[in-house]
Amino acid sequence: MSDLLKDRALKKEKKMGKDGRPKDSISTVSNVEDPLHHDDTRLPTENTYQLGPYKRHSVPVITEILKDVLTCYLQHETYEAEWSRQMTKTLCDVIRARVKELMIPRYKTVVIVNIGQLSGQGMQISSRCLWDATNDTFATYSFKNSSLFGLAIVYVVYFE
Amino acid sequence: MDEFQAEDETTFVVEEVSKIIKESVEATIGGNTYQHNRVNQWTTNVVEQCLSQLSKLGKPFKYIVTCVIMQKNGAGLQTANACFWDNTTDGSCAVRWENKSMYCIVTVFGLAI
Repeated sequence: MSDLLKDRALKKEKKMGKDGRPKDSISTVSNVEDPLHHDDTRLPTENTYQLGPYKRHSVPVITEILKDVLTCYLQHETYEAEWSRQMTKTLCDVIRARVKELMIPRYKTVVIVNIGQLSGQGMQISSRCLWDATNDTFATYSFKNSSLFGLAIVYVVYFE
Repeated sequence: MDEFQAEDETTFVVEEVSKIIKESVEATIGGNTYQHNRVNQWTTNVVEQCLSQLSKLGKPFKYIVTCVIMQKNGAGLQTANACFWDNTTDGSCAVRWENKSMYCIVTVFGLAI
């Protein structure tokens, strides 16, 4: 997310579970609040009478963008905590800018980038979406080298 | 025909979404240790349970739910997201849950239609 947005970690879960036994898990919640954009008055918009998008996103094009960006930025790098923290944010911004350049109107974009260290651990990443399958879609690409892996996911959602 | 909905009918409310996520995660993997052959089913269950609870809220939103379950062995993981949306109505919520053997990160994005 951009520097303007604050990442706020809310309170941690209490250590005791609901039935009085001590829990062995903890959870934290974080969400982002943009202090500049709290417009409580939403202007009513005019009807467009448009039933669907005139131009859709092409999944292979977005996959190509992801492949290009990930390979270019991560090819010869090794995993380091501080560097990869900055790199995930940079990659998110770069990918979002490149998808916006495609100039497909009335589409919202969500970009997720994961960079992790390869050390023999097991991991599973999955996602599900509640949306309109005729208009909305996603693209993913994963990259691996000897010390790290990089995964990028882009969801594009039509704004009705 | 104009329909005026109350403010919290059309904005993303973080508290109730985070509650839903925590309940889904606890119900699916609370008290378990990481098992490679079950983790696929766990992530699917967490995500599908979250999604069905979110759709029961009945709000005019499209949802994207992502779940990462990672075994604890000292490896590092960074994750970031960037979104192009309407800040007044759309939002996201990330919950990071851990126990002795694994981490679970669930992110929900809500996009108003």
